[in-house]
Amino acid sequence: MSSSIPPWRATASAPSTAGAFTTATPAYIPVQARRSLNHHNKSNPSTLNGAYQPAMSTTDTAQTRVEFSPAIRTYVQRCFAPENQIASVSTAEMQEKLREVITNAAKNDRLNAIDWERLQLPQIIIQNERNKILANPSVSSWAMSGQPASPGDASRKRKSTEHQQTEPDSPPWRKTNNRNRFEDRVTYPTTEKKSRMALDASSKSKANLEMRKKRFEGAGATYGNSATSSPQPEVDQGPVVGRCEKLEKNYFRLTSAPNPDTVRPLSVLKMTLDLLKKKWKKEGNYGYICDQFKSLRQDLTVQHIRDEFTVSVYEIHARIALEKGDLGEYNQCQTQLRVLYSQQLGGHPTEFKAYRILYFIYTRNWTAMNDALADVTAEDKKDPAVKHALNVRSALALGNYHRFFMLYLDTPNMGAYLMDMFVDRERLSALAAICRAYKPDVTIRFITEELGFESDEQTARFVIDHSSAELLEEKSGTVRLLTGKAGGLFEQAKAEAHRVVDIKGQI
Amino acid sequence: MSTLAAEFRNAYIHGSGPALATVFTPIATTNSPHRLSSFYDFTNAQYLTQDLASSLFHGKGLKVSKAEQTAWVNVFAAYWEAVGEVLKFEDGHSEASAAAIFKAWKKMAMALNKGYTDAGFPAWTLPCMYTVGKFLRTFAIKADNEAASQSSTTFGVLDDVAADVEKNAYLEDGARIINRMFTLCLTDRAPIEDSRKWGIYNITSLLFKTYFKINSVGLTKNLLRAINAQSHELPPLESFPKSHIVTFEYYIGVIHFLDENYTEAEKHLSTAWRMCHRQAIKNRELILMYLIPCHLVTTHTLPSKQLLASFPQLELFFRPLSNCIRKGDLVGFDAAMAAGEEEFVKRRIYLPLERGRDIALRNLFRKVFIAGGFEEPKEGQPPVRRSRIPVVEFAAALRIGTHATGRTRIDIDEVECLLSNLIYKGLMKGYIARERGFVVLSKNNAAFPGTGV
Repeated sequence: MSSSIPPWRATASAPSTAGAFTTATPAYIPVQARRSLNHHNKSNPSTLNGAYQPAMSTTDTAQTRVEFSPAIRTYVQRCFAPENQIASVSTAEMQEKLREVITNAAKNDRLNAIDWERLQLPQIIIQNERNKILANPSVSSWAMSGQPASPGDASRKRKSTEHQQTEPDSPPWRKTNNRNRFEDRVTYPTTEKKSRMALDASSKSKANLEMRKKRFEGAGATYGNSATSSPQPEVDQGPVVGRCEKLEKNYFRLTSAPNPDTVRPLSVLKMTLDLLKKKWKKEGNYGYICDQFKSLRQDLTVQHIRDEFTVSVYEIHARIALEKGDLGEYNQCQTQLRVLYSQQLGGHPTEFKAYRILYFIYTRNWTAMNDALADVTAEDKKDPAVKHALNVRSALALGNYHRFFMLYLDTPNMGAYLMDMFVDRERLSALAAICRAYKPDVTIRFITEELGFESDEQTARFVIDHSSAELLEEKSGTVRLLTGKAGGLFEQAKAEAHRVVDIKGQI
Repeated sequence: MSTLAAEFRNAYIHGSGPALATVFTPIATTNSPHRLSSFYDFTNAQYLTQDLASSLFHGKGLKVSKAEQTAWVNVFAAYWEAVGEVLKFEDGHSEASAAAIFKAWKKMAMALNKGYTDAGFPAWTLPCMYTVGKFLRTFAIKADNEAASQSSTTFGVLDDVAADVEKNAYLEDGARIINRMFTLCLTDRAPIEDSRKWGIYNITSLLFKTYFKINSVGLTKNLLRAINAQSHELPPLESFPKSHIVTFEYYIGVIHFLDENYTEAEKHLSTAWRMCHRQAIKNRELILMYLIPCHLVTTHTLPSKQLLASFPQLELFFRPLSNCIRKGDLVGFDAAMAAGEEEFVKRRIYLPLERGRDIALRNLFRKVFIAGGFEEPKEGQPPVRRSRIPVVEFAAALRIGTHATGRTRIDIDEVECLLSNLIYKGLMKGYIARERGFVVLSKNNAAFPGTGV
């Protein structure tokens, strides 16, 4: 009993999660520990089944019937080893390159001349080639300034990055229902993970918990996922010192003690962060960035690095996740940051305290909100972002939609990304109140101004999407909302929107 | 030893649970200041079991099965170890620690639990379980505090840097044992007269208390679910001792309170309040701490002067707020909230108290309505209050007490927003005619429901 994971660790402060004892959903995607190569990359069974008669059998080299030496076979094996995969290089690309390498070697009769053990893996070769192209150090470190990421994103213009279907030519009621913005923003796990998840779906929870427990039992854990022959380190023997020089690394949840050969030391990690910042700015590929940040965080953890750099890694990851609306990942960073800030390691504690308050408004977790309020010091209250978040909270608590939307239009830092998550919900609440209080009607203009809409068209579309077009009436040149008829409809929509928010990874 | 052994035999012969529980209280009393040390000094590790067996069960009058005897000896043996740690700690021994006490006590708790599962300890001995559980919690908290003061952070094979889990490690461990006690009580199949089911509410309250302390209020839901699933086999709540009911109802009330489920919370807290012993001042104060904010939210009523007068702490908390709400003094209300914020947040009553502002606002607007006077009197009809009130009059009321600098000016849209909220929440009856700048209030004494006008 004492070795089991206590239930409150699994759910921590999510009182809404019913049944913590039985449905302890872990805050990460449970992944089956990979025991052999065959588990990996199901999309290419042919290549994998013949790891010893590797990919070559179908290529042009096959015609020459070359008998490959063990060194080459080991090399090919290494190419396919999961820990050597790089997210940005697809398996197909890698295979193509591998083929090229071996074919060239065979053509030039250098098959036995090459030191296969030292030869760079094809995925590394590809990456190096790309990096050469990309190496263009004209980018400043955007993330340190606390500004939104994309260019021209400052203040209200950030809206432009979102999926807003405002084709000006068609009337609002013609347009499709407004899509769930949140849905748009969630990053789903990479396809590889997804397929694994699907495979695991049936056995999830219990079996996985069991597996996990075993993994954490420590010293006896098998150390079988590496092709290298470094001595097996003991678990919990102090920090690992990494010696991996690669900048990029795929995230893989550790199943045993970390291998120093795949862990990057601090100096490399610092370069990694710079590279990631550049890549994010340039490519904006969130799936890739998120994965890279997770492995970065992991390398920091296993080496017990806990300093200003750690804080900035978490902050940047949190901001990126926020921008993409990946609240699960954001919340993980936020939880970590709270602990890091408590150790006075620098960073931007007030900025994130403000986000935290806004986040709990969104999730409507009042127990956690109370904790967040308890964390705010008198000094913090002088900070504009914290002050703003506190005002938002109290405006909502008192139903003061007027002040709420004034605050919404003037949100510091990246708080607006969080507020976007719940403005529509609050608009419905406000409309429910307005329709009850104003008789017989109000102008659309009034609603647009009170509820922070950008145009009367947007307001009209919102009203139609959530109630019905019959509530709008044109009278002496102005469009009016017939409040007398509308109350019940918005009441219903409001209740719908205020259902409890459940977010993956919330702890 | 002779004292403790005699107490045990005595309690056992009389079948007195409370007397048995005092045997296992690891505190020296004023009557016998050396009860622990004499127990510890009476034997040594080598002869422990033999000595215990003979002094506990040899002699006439005590008929206990062999299995039960062995189980009690085991409990006493673990108790002896724990007492040793307690004494070491009290003497300031260099190897003594709160953690060691906790570990020893935990062993004892486990031995006791084993006695219930394997050796059939009778249900009348349950008070032992309460006492052992209670001290398990106390010792765990002390051990956690000790660990916090020595603070060393450990890393495991984790993905993230800071796992904020070490803080309550001992108490979490203890909670697991208490949870076992919970199961032992709930699932006892013995006939109800001699069932451990009678301990369920007491142990549940202990576990609630523990979960609150480790910030895992969510886990209390699991206990309630388990109890509900068994409810058809449990005796009705009223037949339990009052002390069990009061504590249980109090926690249920607080759990609902934290979920913002104030109606339910009020029901349970009121029960606890009614049944609470008059002299249990501390408990009554605790209940009121949550019952008063509940009442404010659900019924919009304030605590009376007499009620507050008997609880100085509550008086301090709620008097200034109540006065401001009554007078409709918004500026004063905000100041009182700000002044009490830290304490309110700590006790988790800030959010509901904040809602009192609506009542203060209602009272202020009500004054505007009354000050508005009456319509032109009509022949032979009773006077009718003026029911069309310009929004600017409400705006003027809002400026009372504020420094009328440009910054604190309130714009008309915001005043309308406040009005529309009161109407929406049913605190005011009427409607806003925006174009004409009027609020039209209900006639026939219904403009401010429940306040007489």
